[in-house]
Amino acid sequence: MKKVSCIFIVDDDPITVFGIKKMLKSVAECDDIQIFQNGHEAHEALKERNNTGGTIPEVIFLDINMPIMDGWEFLDAMIELDIKEQIVINMITSSIDPLDHKKWAEFKDRCPYPLHFKNKPIFKIESNDLGCMEIAS
Amino acid sequence: MKAVERVDPFYVLKQLLKATALISQEGALLDASCSWLEMFGIPSLTEGKGPEIFTLFPEDIELRRKLKENKSFTLEHTITANYITQHLKSYFAPWFDEKENVIGTIIQTDDITSEIKKQEEIDWLKNILETKVEVSKTGWWEYDVNTEELFWCRETKRIHQVPDSYQPTAQEGINFFKSGYSRNKVSMLFHRLNSNHQSYDINLLLVTYMGQERWVRITGKPIVENGKTVKVFGTIKDVHEEVMAETRIKENQQLLRTLVDSLPLNVYVKDLESRKILVNKSECNYFEKSAEELIGKTDFDLFEKEVAQMSREEDIQVMKNLTPIIGKETQSILNGKVTHHLTSKIPYFDLDGKVCGLIGMSLDITHMKKKEEQLRSLNTTAVMQNQKLISFAHIVSHNLRSHSANFSMLLGFLDAEKDPTERLRLIKMLRQASDNLLETLGNLNQVVDVNSNTLVIKKPVHLRHAVVKVLQDQSGLLEHNRAQVVNHVPEHLQIHCVPAYLDSILLNLISNAVKYKSPDRKLQITIDAFESQKGIDLSISDNGLGIDLNKYGNKIFGMYKTFHNREDAKGFGLYLVKNQIEAMGGSITVQSEVDKGTTFNVSFNEES
Repeated sequence: MKKVSCIFIVDDDPITVFGIKKMLKSVAECDDIQIFQNGHEAHEALKERNNTGGTIPEVIFLDINMPIMDGWEFLDAMIELDIKEQIVINMITSSIDPLDHKKWAEFKDRCPYPLHFKNKPIFKIESNDLGCMEIAS
Repeated sequence: MKAVERVDPFYVLKQLLKATALISQEGALLDASCSWLEMFGIPSLTEGKGPEIFTLFPEDIELRRKLKENKSFTLEHTITANYITQHLKSYFAPWFDEKENVIGTIIQTDDITSEIKKQEEIDWLKNILETKVEVSKTGWWEYDVNTEELFWCRETKRIHQVPDSYQPTAQEGINFFKSGYSRNKVSMLFHRLNSNHQSYDINLLLVTYMGQERWVRITGKPIVENGKTVKVFGTIKDVHEEVMAETRIKENQQLLRTLVDSLPLNVYVKDLESRKILVNKSECNYFEKSAEELIGKTDFDLFEKEVAQMSREEDIQVMKNLTPIIGKETQSILNGKVTHHLTSKIPYFDLDGKVCGLIGMSLDITHMKKKEEQLRSLNTTAVMQNQKLISFAHIVSHNLRSHSANFSMLLGFLDAEKDPTERLRLIKMLRQASDNLLETLGNLNQVVDVNSNTLVIKKPVHLRHAVVKVLQDQSGLLEHNRAQVVNHVPEHLQIHCVPAYLDSILLNLISNAVKYKSPDRKLQITIDAFESQKGIDLSISDNGLGIDLNKYGNKIFGMYKTFHNREDAKGFGLYLVKNQIEAMGGSITVQSEVDKGTTFNVSFNEES
């Protein structure tokens, strides 16, 4: 069981959120799991934590299609924040649009954080999804 | 012998009016009348013997012998004095005494100079006539009414191709003309010549003796005496080549005219000043004017000044540089009607090779242009439809996939779950996922319905009534939100649309305005409509939250796109509205400012 200080789940679909939370229970121990309906809310929270010295999430589960601010826009805004801490980002989508995959490849190159692309449905969260430090160490 | 010696008769002789002389048998001039002596330039006769007669007639060396024969004869001769030549004619007759003995010769001499001169003149005139006939190839003929004799000159015979010995009668002369029009005509003219003294000058067809058909120009002129035609004089000239050449020219002209007129092109010829000097039927039809009205006109008389100026500049270029313009696409406006032409202008040269204007040809390609535009718009529509289909396919796959993914995930959990409470929870979630899927399918169905109804049946709808009805249906919602609605839609406007779509459009746009009202202001909705070029434009404005179009402009009509944190925002209404409007051939645009309000403009295409 890996100990994780903070996890952000950014998804407007309550069932997916439920699923991620349920799967996390078996692989991670985390007291600070935050749920956000869209990118905008998540970004506001991240900015707030960054400014006030709050806990920066170690792992973010990020949906692509969301109202107000979608996953890509959130990524752009997040890179802008220039957070030094390591954050593992898991993009979780039901989209099989090749354009989305292409976009992910582009982001992967310029994103300073590990960026995973996971197609729904997901049944299990790998330890890798929570950070590759264990494997590295 | 006594008689000889008598003086009296000699004295009488002197006075005779007709120049007379008496000569002896030896040829000596015995006596003569004064007129005779004057004629021969002899001053006076000395007593006794005069000069020998032979010196007076030096031309006739036979004279001595002739005199000896004692027979009458005549002699023509000349006397030249002071460079004037007199033509004389002398009659010689034996001179008898009472006993019928020849005692000498009596000579009577006439001055025939004037007759000779006349003859010479006639000969000269004949010569001139002959030359003229030869040069002009004009023959002449003469008909004597009394004797009914017809005379043809040599040239006339040559034209008829008859031998010189041929002697025609009047009827034969007429019969040389081709039977039918020519023969009837010449017959009639010849008759009128005699009866009405009417001259003629006409081209008719002759069939020669050798059977050749030749065009001849014939004239006839009566010579009238005492009110009666006594003679007819006429000419005949072979004008076959000229007539044939003229006919060929006329035929060529006819061919060219028919060709130019029948071409499905506007054809015109302009002079150096760009005045039209020839127009064909198509050109006349295009301007709805007759050829006479167009000839002499320039483009300045026919078109707007700018169009005419452009055309004139083209003309000058063509005529100056001698380079033709071929197949240039032009556009001209005549009486407000726009016509597209494929225009060619070619320099026009005279026989000396100098440019004297231009030949213009314009092909009306307006209908082709229209077809091309239709095709282009059809292609644009096809491309758009295709893009819509692809994006719709992605939406479908994404939405369906997300639900099925949830099912898979939840079922996976259910399989592994032992705890009954947790299982019940999972089943509840599965039911929710199922409801979501059903709703999504319902939405997708609506969109498919709108888009697959290619033959949407449009009906005339009274726009104001339709708006009023939707407002009534939504009166509960509007009152609850204390909305103030202003309906500016004019009373008379009718639009062609699918009534159900119109209701959906109005309902969605009005409920959107309510949904996204500003908490700081009393909601105001203004509905307006006006006629535009293409059809009728409807606008629905509110003073609500507004939306940042710079950020979301390209997504506002997208499926499942929402921009405000509202529980009831599904991101489907505007997507459906846009599909419904486009299915009716219209379009929708949006203007918005954050915290000021939003205006949706719907254009109803009334054309199709």
